[in-house]
Amino acid sequence: MPGLVRDLEALLDPRRVFSHPEDLLAYMNDATHKRVMPAVVVQPMTPAEISRVLCYANQNQIPVVPRGAGTGLAGGATPGIGSIVVDLKRLQQVIEVDRQNLTATLECGVVTQKFHTLVESMGLFYPPDPQSMLVCTMGGNVATRAGGPRGVKYGTTKDYVLGVEAVLPDGEIIRYGGKSVKMSSGYDLARLLTGSEGTLGIITKVTVKLLTLPAYRRTMVAVFAELEAAAEAVSAIIAAGAVPSRLELLTKSSLETIEAFIPLGLPKDAEAFLLIELDGHEGKVNEETQQIIAICRQNGVRETTIARDAAEAERMWLARRVLFPATARRAPTILIEDATVARSQVPAMIREIKRIAELNQLVIGVSGHVGDGNLHPGILTDKSDPELMRRAEKAMGEIAKEALRLGGTLSGEHGIGYLKAPYLEWEFKSAGVNLMRRIKQAFDPNGIMNPGKIWVDGGEAHV
Amino acid sequence: MYRIEDYVKEINRCIQCNFCLEHCPVYIEDGVESSVARGRLNLIQALLVEKTLVPSDRAGVLLNRCLLCTNCTQGCPSGIPVDDIVITARADLQKKYGLGKGKRFLLRQVVNRSNTTNLATWTLSIARRLNMVPDEFPEVASRSFEQRVPTNVKPTGEVRGRVGYFIGCATNYLYPEIGDAVIKVLTAKGYEVVIPANQHCCGIPALAHGELGAAQEAVSWNAELFAKLDVEAVITDCTSCGYMLKVKAAKTLDKDDPSQSKVAAVAEKVVEITEFITREGLWHDPTIVLGDSQETVKVDVDSAENNIDIADTAEKKLKVTYHVPCHRAWNSNLIQAPHKLVSMLPAVSLVEMSEPQRCCGAGGSFFVDHEELAESIRVRKLKDIQSTKADAVITQCPACRYYLRSGLEKKMPVLHPIELLANAIYPSVRA
Repeated sequence: MPGLVRDLEALLDPRRVFSHPEDLLAYMNDATHKRVMPAVVVQPMTPAEISRVLCYANQNQIPVVPRGAGTGLAGGATPGIGSIVVDLKRLQQVIEVDRQNLTATLECGVVTQKFHTLVESMGLFYPPDPQSMLVCTMGGNVATRAGGPRGVKYGTTKDYVLGVEAVLPDGEIIRYGGKSVKMSSGYDLARLLTGSEGTLGIITKVTVKLLTLPAYRRTMVAVFAELEAAAEAVSAIIAAGAVPSRLELLTKSSLETIEAFIPLGLPKDAEAFLLIELDGHEGKVNEETQQIIAICRQNGVRETTIARDAAEAERMWLARRVLFPATARRAPTILIEDATVARSQVPAMIREIKRIAELNQLVIGVSGHVGDGNLHPGILTDKSDPELMRRAEKAMGEIAKEALRLGGTLSGEHGIGYLKAPYLEWEFKSAGVNLMRRIKQAFDPNGIMNPGKIWVDGGEAHV
Repeated sequence: MYRIEDYVKEINRCIQCNFCLEHCPVYIEDGVESSVARGRLNLIQALLVEKTLVPSDRAGVLLNRCLLCTNCTQGCPSGIPVDDIVITARADLQKKYGLGKGKRFLLRQVVNRSNTTNLATWTLSIARRLNMVPDEFPEVASRSFEQRVPTNVKPTGEVRGRVGYFIGCATNYLYPEIGDAVIKVLTAKGYEVVIPANQHCCGIPALAHGELGAAQEAVSWNAELFAKLDVEAVITDCTSCGYMLKVKAAKTLDKDDPSQSKVAAVAEKVVEITEFITREGLWHDPTIVLGDSQETVKVDVDSAENNIDIADTAEKKLKVTYHVPCHRAWNSNLIQAPHKLVSMLPAVSLVEMSEPQRCCGAGGSFFVDHEELAESIRVRKLKDIQSTKADAVITQCPACRYYLRSGLEKKMPVLHPIELLANAIYPSVRA
């Protein structure tokens, strides 16, 4: 499409318009497997440039796909045919960290880890910690409501967004919210844009809430012979009000995967390995540690170990950290699910995942943020094997259905993208999805913003 | 043997996580996902495996715009050997998009280096005329290191062991002072050093340019030379030579190549000098090495055998900062060794720069072909170095040494860690 490229080169610095297929290849997918070559990739530097691009695309009815670091696991940044990919990584200014009001305002392309490092150097704390935080962007986090292990105590990105600036498909720039912690004015457009996965507009700036950095952290592990006992203990810990800052479950299959990758001497015969981190004031943390040990004992824990120092805590968390590379080495493609259920339903969900794995003759590793019921079944597959991919996607649908049957949700922190779009009606029925469509229509009457995401045309999927 | 068939599976293993965005020095400058490992793998797959794209100038640019620094590989959750795959693609596409005839000829001359400095001088002068080296490139040493040293150097006292010494091209032609330091330290420690004549380049520059034939000649030649030595270790002072000899040599040759067993035997013995001299058990008696020093304070051997804490025993005089070479992954102790070495020298202290593992932009000879890009990578590094306020930089890679030196404009020396130790033993030779 030489006309398109030429037009965009007139709107932006031509050096930031990429149309060689050799460059477009790198933008054919996010961290999911379906690959579609876009027509062009642009890298705007300012909201005004984004506005020009959207205005042009809207007039010419060309689909636009916003993109942060392309680490999404639901396919939200997968381009459509003929689309303009708007790569937002160059908007990377942290505009302000306001100590007095405990807020920060930043551009969408700021890398999450860099933002963490910055605020932590000032004694402040921004909790959301997605696995991809070393590379992913804050704008992408807001657009997908990204979470992470700290969700159990601190919630996910949606709980920190106070205000947004966004460019709408017609090129208008809107701002909603800001530093006020209270706001009861009009529809909450910040919340609406948060998690909109690029289907309503492009989020260019966000103002987020900050906390003060916890003074003290402690890590401990608890080993259970039975999964149910571990789940009981988790529920009892939360119910007792001793909410850990991270509460991660490694099941037997994950432990085996990790041990095969790096021998850490993890227990071989345990069904559940809980990694627990507490943070806050030292006295309170000590108290809660004792409380948690007591609860674990009441639930038949085999052993509990408290890290004596930061180095030992680091070693304990190493097991969780290497789970991703360890799993990555087991298969060329991994569908990482994020079905989420109420905490009490975790054992039932794990049993169902095992059943689904057997039924479809697949290997599905289970780990997850058990403290908030957010499991990550990792379906091992191979993008170059269509038959295996078909079974893997079928299993994904079945896991989604099961999570909903247990009263949970399709996605805890990844978003819907295109991968789970066929299931959306299962969760919200046609009335709910139709309302969402009408909202989308109001923002984007020409349907140029990230089409094919969140829901699909043609109603409910059948699995 | 760097054939694309051998890497089809490896490319497919990429789970597309994009975590390589964190590590790539070129991506940090270019900011485009086609300039990062995942983009390059997808490009190579389209060009050479699926053949959905035909080779083009842009493909050539993207594939040549890789430092082969291996930072992506070291950080890859799937452990994909990205640099090997890029080398393979370069070898495959080289005829159309890689080297000109003149450059290829020169690479062969460099690889098959003969014992005459004349040839090196001549090669360099041609390279200058072809604009292959920057103006400030150092002159070739008037006598190459090989010409100055005998093939066997014995220690003055009792012989405690016997090692071979692989002389890299940089030490041979540009920095013979590193070679002097290596021999001084080894002989002071009681090692007999065997330096076979007619060593060739390790082959890594040829490999980086996809010039597989020249790399194979170099690998076989050196394996032949070193496999027959009766030595306990083969010492190198260059992390890239070490990477080549230890890891890449076997991959360079055909699986069935008759030299493979010799390559493996040599690889087994390859150790970087700093690591060799500091590794556990070797340093049990620091007075042997430090005994002659007039500038250093004697260390109390009884206080700690392998864990010498001298922080309080002397006022530190020289403050150094350590630039970690990218070609470090072939030995897990490479990064710690210079720290350990400095901790043994009462007159030296180490101040850590921020991101010591960040690439300096040299990338072997990458900086020659990609002047602007390399320069912008170096600017970040120089900032990190200068904010340490150190007196000197230490690093075990001669390309980094050269490139940082020219960037620092002689305001700060760049040394090999082993030179610090040699200077401590023989302060009179301090440069």
